[in-house]
Amino acid sequence: MADAPTPYERFIQGILPENPVYRQLLGLCPTLAVTNGLNAAMTMAGATAFVLFCANIITSLIRDLLKPHLRIVIFTLTIATFVTIADRFLAAYMYQMSKTLGPYIPLIIVNCLIICRCEVCASKQSVVHAGMDAIGQSIGFALALASIAAVREILGTGMLFGMRVLPEIWPDWVVMVLPPGAFLTLGLLLGAVNWYGCKNKNNNEL
Amino acid sequence: MSYIVDILLIAVGAALINNFVLYYFVGICPFIGVSRKVDMAFGMGCAVTFVISIAAFLSWTITTYILKPGAPLSKWMAGFFVSPEMAANIDLTILCYIVYIFAISSSVQFVEMYVRKFFPALYKSFGVFLPLITTNCAILFACLTIMSNVAGVDNPADAWDLGRSLTLAVFGGIGFTIAIVIMAGIREELDLCDIPKPLEGAAITFVVAGILALAFMGFTGVDSGLKKALTPEPQETVQVQMIQTSQTLTCSGL
Amino acid sequence: MKPIEPMEPMKSSTLERIRNNYVVQAWLVLILAICFGGSLAGMQLALGPLIEANKINETLKKVPEMVLGAKKAEKLTKDQQLIIEPQTVEIEKNNRKVFYSVFKAKHPNGDPAGWVAKAVGQGYADKIEILFGMDNKLKKITGLFVLDQKETPGLGNKIMEEGWRQQFVKKKTATPLKVTKEGAKAAHEIDSITGATISSRAVCSIINTTIKDLRAPLSK
Repeated sequence: MADAPTPYERFIQGILPENPVYRQLLGLCPTLAVTNGLNAAMTMAGATAFVLFCANIITSLIRDLLKPHLRIVIFTLTIATFVTIADRFLAAYMYQMSKTLGPYIPLIIVNCLIICRCEVCASKQSVVHAGMDAIGQSIGFALALASIAAVREILGTGMLFGMRVLPEIWPDWVVMVLPPGAFLTLGLLLGAVNWYGCKNKNNNEL
Repeated sequence: MSYIVDILLIAVGAALINNFVLYYFVGICPFIGVSRKVDMAFGMGCAVTFVISIAAFLSWTITTYILKPGAPLSKWMAGFFVSPEMAANIDLTILCYIVYIFAISSSVQFVEMYVRKFFPALYKSFGVFLPLITTNCAILFACLTIMSNVAGVDNPADAWDLGRSLTLAVFGGIGFTIAIVIMAGIREELDLCDIPKPLEGAAITFVVAGILALAFMGFTGVDSGLKKALTPEPQETVQVQMIQTSQTLTCSGL
Repeated sequence: MKPIEPMEPMKSSTLERIRNNYVVQAWLVLILAICFGGSLAGMQLALGPLIEANKINETLKKVPEMVLGAKKAEKLTKDQQLIIEPQTVEIEKNNRKVFYSVFKAKHPNGDPAGWVAKAVGQGYADKIEILFGMDNKLKKITGLFVLDQKETPGLGNKIMEEGWRQQFVKKKTATPLKVTKEGAKAAHEIDSITGATISSRAVCSIINTTIKDLRAPLSK
């Protein structure tokens, strides 16, 4: 297959050009829900990275044994198992964070991003390809979550990672850490990324 | 009477105050993808409500009878292999995510086959959405909420029964339908407006959703107000008290 | 030309073919299910006790602080650690059974140190869960901690702040607490948080109700 992307290409594609949130619009539920603060957002990104990586590796290892009409069942089973492992792990070692993230860790199971990567890449290419793809997509996801969380946390509470960054006179825009702020931030940042992409395309064409 | 008040509060909470889309952020993918036309949006909302209720019924039954600590069916099955005291402590909640997602996928499959065979007209209007609903966060979220209220409560008397679980599911679906239909109506108007090019598509939908979420925030506190209005003032009734010293284990401070 | 002889059909009964189809195709799912199930069971054995301990410690760790105050609780040495007895108090109120989780704290030599009660009530947005300590005779409040709340960040959220909660220490339980906006003057008044009157009132009403319910059972 001369056209299949190499591992390095998979890695680079996942970070910005095929960014899961800004380009593919996948995994929006956790993007909006846990980006109140950078701590929660990074924990969620880490959990998703773990599940994506393990699911990709396992799927790639058994890709030759997959039957077409049972593959979704197998993907789901694999993903659900690793999400359970990640959830219990968090509850055991980071109890407070697990309570903050609440029901959004199990919702990684229905995160379209992971099933999509299993379907598109892991079930068709070798373990190395799948692994690099998983790492690339996870970094892209983490970047997206970090950008939104940083904006919401700074404007909403004047803190980053729980440490005060803006001076005391900053009137906290509480709405940013509430649901409307999540939607507005994502919408405007999406617009900014699109604008940047259009500008680049225009520059390249000229 | 207090049961009906409970149901009413859960219903209002799930549909308006803690709206699945605009407060809990579940079900965003169809919210963005299917909300271009009002009739499609309504069809999607109905399909989601239908599947959520079936999934909620399944998950409540499975949790209560098989998964939760000390559940009857598991206790009976384990009684064949281990002693009765050990069987009484059986706790299968570790399997709950896997079981739920398979319950949801299989119920969606069966519903699709059933609707395609027996209600072809209905299938034409919303059957095409059904496979998409399997990965809809809203269904799994409803199942998880029901599980946390059945198996995650400290006090077994507070565990939700089937009525409360179904109310949460159905009215959660209705709330989703309300949100998606409003969004579809707005987007139909937006199609005729001049939107800046970078914001076209998903970005402007999110900005509008943000304003909608702001509006729905106005419902906060409605349930505590309703509760106060509907619950009669408690009189100084005679209190019968019992003290049970549970768990004679004494733990030291730290 | 010689007639082409028809090939012999493959010998296989229909039953065998069907069995081949489904089981062979599902064997991977079954094997994976068994493997994953085993790993989950192993993980539950390893992490289950840790998670249970986390849940219990969340409240247990706060008990000395509630009863003795933060500074004294920190200074306790290892053999001065309090003995904590969890209890469940069941009360029948308005024909409904209500359960309260109560902790009795004792000094190592057996002297009672105080009581800590866990109570839940409706706040502005959702339920508020608090832990508050009382002295031995249930006459004074010795500490307050908010375990769980979903109030508005920046407004109702401030009930978690140390400064506001300190108001409750040394309040007498004989008169129900009242929230005032002007500035607490009388002994049973609490300053409300600016912009979060309902959350402040909710905390006070939870404390008042709990004290009223638990006074008789705990005094025995």
